[in-house]
Amino acid sequence: MVTRRDFVKSGLVAAGAGIIVPPVFAKSIFAANADGNQNNRVLVILQLGGGNDGLNTVVPFADPAYGNARPNIGINGDQALRINNSIGLHPNLTGIKALYDEGQVAIVQGVGYANPTYSHFEGLYVWEHADPTRAQTEGWLGKMLATQYDTNGHPLTGCALGEAGTPAELSAPQVQVSVIDSIATYGVQGGQGRTIAAPALYRKTPGIYGALFDQSMNTAEEGISALAQTGSKYKPMADYGTTTAVYGSKNDLATALQLTAELIVTQPTVKVCHVVLGGFDTHQQEDTRQAALLKDVDVAVSAFMKDLAAQKMADRVVLATWSEFGRRVTENGSNGTDHGSAAPMFVIGAPVKGGLLGEQPSLTSLVDGGNLQYTVDFRSVYQSLIRDWLQADSGAVLGGTFPNVTLV
Amino acid sequence: VSNAKLRLTRRQAIGIAAGGAVGAAGLATLGGHLLGSKSTLAAGSGTSWSSPLGNARGLAAHLLRRAGFGYTSSDLDSAARMKYSDLVDSVVNQSAQSLPAPSNLSSYTAVSQAWLQHMATTSAQFPERMTLFWHGHLTSDYRKAAQLPFVYFQNKLYREEGTSDLRTLLNKTTTDPLMMSYLDLTQSSAAAPNENYSRELMELFTLGVGNYSETDVREGARALSGLRIVIYDKSGNRVPNPKRGTGSNAIQQYYAAISQLAQSGAVWKGVLVPKQHDQGSKTYLGKTGNLAPTDVIDTILAQDACAPFITKAALTYFAVPAPSDSMVKTIADQFRSSNYDIKTLMRAIFTSSDFTDQSNYRSLVRSPADYVVAAMRAIGNTNLAAAALKAAPAMDQILYDPPTVAGWPQNGAWLSSSSVLARLNFATSAVTATSSYPSTSDAIATQLDNVVGPDMANIYNTSGSDGDRWYAILGSPEFQLK
Repeated sequence: MVTRRDFVKSGLVAAGAGIIVPPVFAKSIFAANADGNQNNRVLVILQLGGGNDGLNTVVPFADPAYGNARPNIGINGDQALRINNSIGLHPNLTGIKALYDEGQVAIVQGVGYANPTYSHFEGLYVWEHADPTRAQTEGWLGKMLATQYDTNGHPLTGCALGEAGTPAELSAPQVQVSVIDSIATYGVQGGQGRTIAAPALYRKTPGIYGALFDQSMNTAEEGISALAQTGSKYKPMADYGTTTAVYGSKNDLATALQLTAELIVTQPTVKVCHVVLGGFDTHQQEDTRQAALLKDVDVAVSAFMKDLAAQKMADRVVLATWSEFGRRVTENGSNGTDHGSAAPMFVIGAPVKGGLLGEQPSLTSLVDGGNLQYTVDFRSVYQSLIRDWLQADSGAVLGGTFPNVTLV
Repeated sequence: VSNAKLRLTRRQAIGIAAGGAVGAAGLATLGGHLLGSKSTLAAGSGTSWSSPLGNARGLAAHLLRRAGFGYTSSDLDSAARMKYSDLVDSVVNQSAQSLPAPSNLSSYTAVSQAWLQHMATTSAQFPERMTLFWHGHLTSDYRKAAQLPFVYFQNKLYREEGTSDLRTLLNKTTTDPLMMSYLDLTQSSAAAPNENYSRELMELFTLGVGNYSETDVREGARALSGLRIVIYDKSGNRVPNPKRGTGSNAIQQYYAAISQLAQSGAVWKGVLVPKQHDQGSKTYLGKTGNLAPTDVIDTILAQDACAPFITKAALTYFAVPAPSDSMVKTIADQFRSSNYDIKTLMRAIFTSSDFTDQSNYRSLVRSPADYVVAAMRAIGNTNLAAAALKAAPAMDQILYDPPTVAGWPQNGAWLSSSSVLARLNFATSAVTATSSYPSTSDAIATQLDNVVGPDMANIYNTSGSDGDRWYAILGSPEFQLK
């Protein structure tokens, strides 16, 4: 089967160059997926980079072991935003607490995996590839997009927003991922001649990077074209805020989530979006730094949910957070915490069955010299996001089934 | 050579070779690492670049692109006349040219711009390239450190010690104020050692996962505890740390005071404060005693895993995306037996078959910093650092702002819809900001080795002006590779 794009491309190359190009330069993107998942549901993944401290995010304030372990940076029962008599949210998560009270937030406690690693990079790899053995080479979302969605010719199906590189979670050779750092710069600058020349430089690039170059440019070209037709239809209907205490710069996550809302509202092809906020590796001054970061998260996520509701899109979207690990139970001497293991995940959105899920790990029966024993396998959460929310085949992505966690 | 429009010949334009059985096997090996799936590329690759590495000029250009940031045609002419091993020696033995402190050390823009400009203008290209290599390998983030003047100090350190020996480099990095701030050594004490630097020093900087235990991380943190940043004036006398006030412009005043001290020749470094240092016995990587930071470095360098880890990182950065274990071992043995002499390491890499083999032509993707500097040097306009900084976020590389403590992923990871667009848009900025263009036909020969694919040939041949032809050159996939 010759796809529309194959035809266009080969036509341009043959007519333009006037020389013979090897006819089969079979690039992965030309292998169209037959039938894609057709529903209108969207999954937004929010990565908290660096290892967010779960215990100061979802705080077991009533447990004496918590106060003992966190004499300086602990959050007490008066400060925490209580969701029951023993658990409360970080004081800066007021917007997410309000959504929780409305039944739109599922908090899955104690999420992790067996034999955890305390390395950022091994931890990232495990979560990105949904594989504690780190043998998989495709990102879990990339694998899902490759096998269950028709991304071919629909470059705005998997999107990474507010960042410039393809996140490993979305990365798979057969998948087009639109990576859009900023909508303002996502275009070919320099006039009409450049608009024609730029993509024409990347049609049949030779060499080991050829497919990747051509796929990147082709994704950009088609995404720009799609955005040009519909992009102006979006007006934000919530205040995404502009300033934050973190590094004295603007709230980049809010900017990224506003862009996410724009794409969801204007582009019906959008299915999976990735956004990221870094800086959670709080070995030092966690009390102030994590507080500022969580404030950014709270402002950005609250505005995003409010915007989607006002746009009448709330029923289409679920957002889930993750981080490569939680942090050590006992604080260190720098008002910080070192690398740890299990931590809570937030799943947020109008379709979500809100509540506290899973079991808070014991703060006294610890593993690996002071770390939490996980109670929920992270793939149980992925499974529900894929199977119950996106209505796709979770077994094909995760290579098995895991105990049920009901999120929607 | 006239600057008139040159029609690329069919022979130049067909600067790609059909991939036969041997080529396809080679691609599968390299590609498997890059795209994470061997099957994809093995099934699809039909063409590869026609390699000019078999001739002296092609090989010299290959070296100058990778050991530096690019060259002019006269640079290449003289390099190509030298015996290759002599050329490697002359490159590796270059002495660094210092980068004078920018007047405003508290401006991220000023410091980064000065560095990019220096990369583009210094004739000591190799030490500058090594500065960028170490910035990625022993990386630091200016935002987390929140001490902007420290960025310049670390940059200076990697320029001065980046081609000396690994022991000196690691000891000075451990007491570098930016690193100490970034990886949380500044408050680590006997009572509460901080594990961050201890872990990343072994995991990412020297040994790799699997070559230490969690106990080593904790014991190393004890041995590294008690380092505090101290300022000395140029005569070696201790100077009090400027106090940070609480007013609205307190941070600016604080940075101004630090800048002023730096301009006067003061230096910042970590010193071991005995009462903050854990004086007890530690057992670290099998060695027991009252270990201090220098013992940590010595113990690491005594591990069999260290030389191969650094060698593999350097081979991956400079030579081939996925170096073979045997090549790593051969070069690591030379590196270690030279007492970790970095020039020995780099000479071995540049003369290795992993570097010079014909199949390694265009096997690496220029990083964004590499690309913008190479573009400046090729088009002969070194005043593009401001435009380069502006383009950096969408290209996915902001200097001193690595995505993680592992620095930047390389090669295929540089390529996304955002970054490819941003590179082309930088080409437009470079062309627009340049008034007098060097010969484009010379650039095809010098910068692209006359090895040009059909897409590039098409756009080049149909371009109506030198500006458009330079856009095709700088924007082409050919120029993104090295």
